[in-house]
Amino acid sequence: MARFLTEAIGTLSDAGSLFVVAAGLTLVFGAMRVINLAHGSFYMYGAFLVTTIAGTSSGLRFWVALGLAAVVVALLGAVVQLGVVRFVVGKEPLTQLVATFAVLYILADIGLHLWGSGARSVNAPLAVSGTFTLAGAYLPVYDLVIIGLAILVGVVLWLLLSHTSLGWMIRAAVDDPELLQAGGVNLRRLHLGVFAAGALLAALAGAVVTPQISVAPGMDQSIIVSSLLVVVIGGLGSIVGTAFAALIIGIADTVGTLVDPTWASTFMYFAVIIVLVVRPWGLFGTPER
Amino acid sequence: MTTLPAADLLAAGRDAGGSPWAGRLRRAALPLAFFVAVLVLGLTMAPANVLELQYAVSLALFAVATNLMLGFGGLVSFGQGVFYGVGAYTVSLGWMHQSLSFSEAMILAPFLGAALAVPLGMIALRTRRLYFALLTLALSQLAYVIAENQTNFTGGTNGVFGAMVPSWLLVPRNSFLLTLAIVTVSLAILWKVLHSPFGLVLRGIRDNRERVEALGVNVYAHELAAFVISGFFCAVAGTLFVVYSQSSYPEIVDWTASGIPVFMAVIGGMYTFFGPVVGAFVYEFANHYLIEYTQDWQLVIGVVLLAIVLLRPDGLAGSLSAIGERWRRRRDRVPAGPPPAPLPPEGGAS
Repeated sequence: MARFLTEAIGTLSDAGSLFVVAAGLTLVFGAMRVINLAHGSFYMYGAFLVTTIAGTSSGLRFWVALGLAAVVVALLGAVVQLGVVRFVVGKEPLTQLVATFAVLYILADIGLHLWGSGARSVNAPLAVSGTFTLAGAYLPVYDLVIIGLAILVGVVLWLLLSHTSLGWMIRAAVDDPELLQAGGVNLRRLHLGVFAAGALLAALAGAVVTPQISVAPGMDQSIIVSSLLVVVIGGLGSIVGTAFAALIIGIADTVGTLVDPTWASTFMYFAVIIVLVVRPWGLFGTPER
Repeated sequence: MTTLPAADLLAAGRDAGGSPWAGRLRRAALPLAFFVAVLVLGLTMAPANVLELQYAVSLALFAVATNLMLGFGGLVSFGQGVFYGVGAYTVSLGWMHQSLSFSEAMILAPFLGAALAVPLGMIALRTRRLYFALLTLALSQLAYVIAENQTNFTGGTNGVFGAMVPSWLLVPRNSFLLTLAIVTVSLAILWKVLHSPFGLVLRGIRDNRERVEALGVNVYAHELAAFVISGFFCAVAGTLFVVYSQSSYPEIVDWTASGIPVFMAVIGGMYTFFGPVVGAFVYEFANHYLIEYTQDWQLVIGVVLLAIVLLRPDGLAGSLSAIGERWRRRRDRVPAGPPPAPLPPEGGAS
């Protein structure tokens, strides 16, 4: 039981941060039909910004850094949207992928100038570090922070998208952009807001995991692969699907590690292949025209 | 909507008069001149530079083989590194496990690539457009983690290094000539394939999938065939990587490595046969010299890619043919009208 709890909390925590990144990716796709390969860069920038702002503090400054990093990266997202992404909305997938991959390269280079090529780490605030005991298992308190954030993000996004007029506009932005614009909605501003929000989510995830990982260049490329797997399994554009898929990927990874460590990292890819063979448009996606 | 690749469009225009042989000769003139230039360069340059030229030649095959799907089939694959890796690892693992000689491995590798392309293609082609691109990307990353983690079989993160090529191939000029010969033959075959009825159907699928389907063509089978042929020649290119570097390591199959032939095709021009060749040379030499002179090669490549994809989606070859067209028009004193530059197929199957 103790073993199970340890694994379960760890899995939920991993799936939680993955969900927050992937939710940003799928939110942008849902509103603009653009897959942003530079999404992982926002995650990396969020993490690096926290290391810069929080420094070695293990108190309040960490939380300030968390919020500040998310806001700064949201502004960066707005710049990327205005400078690049708005020109590829509605273009071929290839154009979008190459353009956003170019952004990934550019941001990676700038990141090297800002933070160097070494790894950095951050301490979790004392209030949420250490472990707590539950049914005989010692569990990291910080995992609960990540899980809590993921639940919060999920609930807010779900309410926003299905119960507000903003969510209705975001969905209409893809289904019938002309009518939406005729109704007086500024589509460009909507895209800008959604893209910045997507970047903010990526940065938030990158920022919140900093106490548990070593922050280093290259995390932009590795996280984008996992988040792509998640959004593809869940069905592009579906927040609910993304939540399920993040859990599937998290579980696949944990089970893989338990079954055979040398094959562990392949499990999530096989999960993707199996899902797409059965449903080529993902669990909660819609078939492409 | 029908869009013809620039080379064909121009060739068709020029072939209108004159014998078919003259047209064929004129069409072959530019590639032939390019081939001779590369050959002469390779035979006269310093050994260190020959190696770089040889690498560019092998990448040209990788880019054209990838473009068979990308530009001609409208299938955006970010997973061709898998087959490149099969090519490279067949040679290096054959050597390491002492199960294959160099020449055996060189012959076997393309067929292994093609054989692997059958199941992977059957899976990947169930998906369309963006999902296809992302699924192939996932396959590439899967190949990467297998190569990285199966340390006992693949050498893990360090990969395989060693004297895996025969000693006569350690002379730069010999390995250059072998590479050039293999690439030239492969490109000739690919040219034949793309200018056969099969290639025509493939382009038809790219431009208007529904109409071709309605004509009774088995679209899936054609796309799968393109996937397998591409896998075959990507594996050939992969074997040439071993000839170049005497090594193979996981980074050659990850998703960014799979992106590189795509970028080469985009830079050079994906709607022509030789565009990716140009792209491969430009990319590789730029990459080589940028790394030597600046730390900011990622920045430069990123900006260049961005500029091309936003401003000239038909790549350098498209720009060149547009310039050539303007020049011809001035020469022939044809009043200027809208340029007949080939446009990428918008909205069609991709």
